[in-house]
Amino acid sequence: MTDIIEMFIWTLGFFATGVFLFWEGIKLLKQKRLIENIPTSKIRSLAMGLVEIYGEVVPAYKEILKSPFSNKDCVYYSYTIEEYRSSGKSSHWVTVENGHNEQPFYLKDDTGGVLIDSKGAKVNVSRDFEFNTGFGKKTPDLVLNFLKSKGMSHKTLFGFGKTMRYKEHFIAPKDKLYIMGTASDNPFVEDGTAKNNVEDIIIQKGKNEKMYYISDKQENALLKEIKWKMLGFIFGGALLSVVCLSIILKYFDLL
Amino acid sequence: MAVGTIIIILVVAVFVIFAITAYIVGMFNSLIRLKNNIKKSWANINVLLKQRSDELPKLINSVKGYMKHEKGTLVELTKARTSMLNAKTISQKADADNAISSALKTIFAVAENYPNLKANENFMQLQNRISGLENELADRREFYNDSVNTYNIRIHSFPDMIIAGRMKYTDEEMFKVSEEDTKDVEVNF
Repeated sequence: MTDIIEMFIWTLGFFATGVFLFWEGIKLLKQKRLIENIPTSKIRSLAMGLVEIYGEVVPAYKEILKSPFSNKDCVYYSYTIEEYRSSGKSSHWVTVENGHNEQPFYLKDDTGGVLIDSKGAKVNVSRDFEFNTGFGKKTPDLVLNFLKSKGMSHKTLFGFGKTMRYKEHFIAPKDKLYIMGTASDNPFVEDGTAKNNVEDIIIQKGKNEKMYYISDKQENALLKEIKWKMLGFIFGGALLSVVCLSIILKYFDLL
Repeated sequence: MAVGTIIIILVVAVFVIFAITAYIVGMFNSLIRLKNNIKKSWANINVLLKQRSDELPKLINSVKGYMKHEKGTLVELTKARTSMLNAKTISQKADADNAISSALKTIFAVAENYPNLKANENFMQLQNRISGLENELADRREFYNDSVNTYNIRIHSFPDMIIAGRMKYTDEEMFKVSEEDTKDVEVNF
């Protein structure tokens, strides 16, 4: 009986997940259209409002961030620490810690550079580091140091190694980025003191425009990725919900 | 038909109707955004055209003492500026802009003949400022034309053309640069 109730709850959960994926797919459709609609601006002639730019990352500060697991110079990083846990018959990865850090940087194209404040952006960059613990594999010292700084341990109470997975994404100097965000007045530059228009501009999350997206892909590749994800979410989400609903209805002998 | 089957058919119908509605609403909003993008990018060009027009009298004042033999070019520039300020349509503005750009090219090229003028700090500052504005204008013209192109393609593509037709959306005009302006200026020393 407990098994049936557990299965029912899981099915209900998957049904809700399907609806959620479907909704996310619809949101991706909106995002795709927005990216298609806005042409890429040259940085020197940026105008205020929602803009799309493509260029190379140049740090704004001498003191640059270091990525936590690979200790690489970067202007943005995010990390995830996952642990493989078993409960009953099922086992799955659980995120035990995640976080990110960023600092303002410049994006430069062949016409100029503009200050970027990546706070609040949806950053979609490829994974730069992944380490899975396993038999005979030594966890890198940088990872161990990071765990120590967070007061975490990679061992169980009995001293056995936990099955862990560490992932890291970062934006390094000279990376090429696609950014869609809001160009606003740069608060770090006093009005009337800028040598050119773009110096007085900062790209950040807009107050009215929710879209703030950073990717290491070019526009065409990005659109292709969004398109497949969108189709997958819309059709996959709907299908998952319908299949789960059928199981639930069967459970109640309605099918 | 079993109750369960009816429920499944209803849920599938809800998904389909919702997806179609979202697609149509998205298409409608997208066309409106495209139209507004054109208006916005045109307004952004106008800001720079105005800034450049404001700099022109200063430029004319700083060069007229030196360029006595190029009075014709200066008169052309003044006329083009007046046309720009009076222009109402995109093509009128584009024509006036082309005339100003062409006259400026000639003035800056001819200025090479006048070492005293080249040594004038005020002129050099104005030249840098106006050249900067010209570059920004070129970028914004390109951006405007990209916006118009995306919009024009969209309103002729299926299925957007159905909604665009109902909204009475028609082709927008590109900002054309004259053939003459794409050529280099000839300077006779």
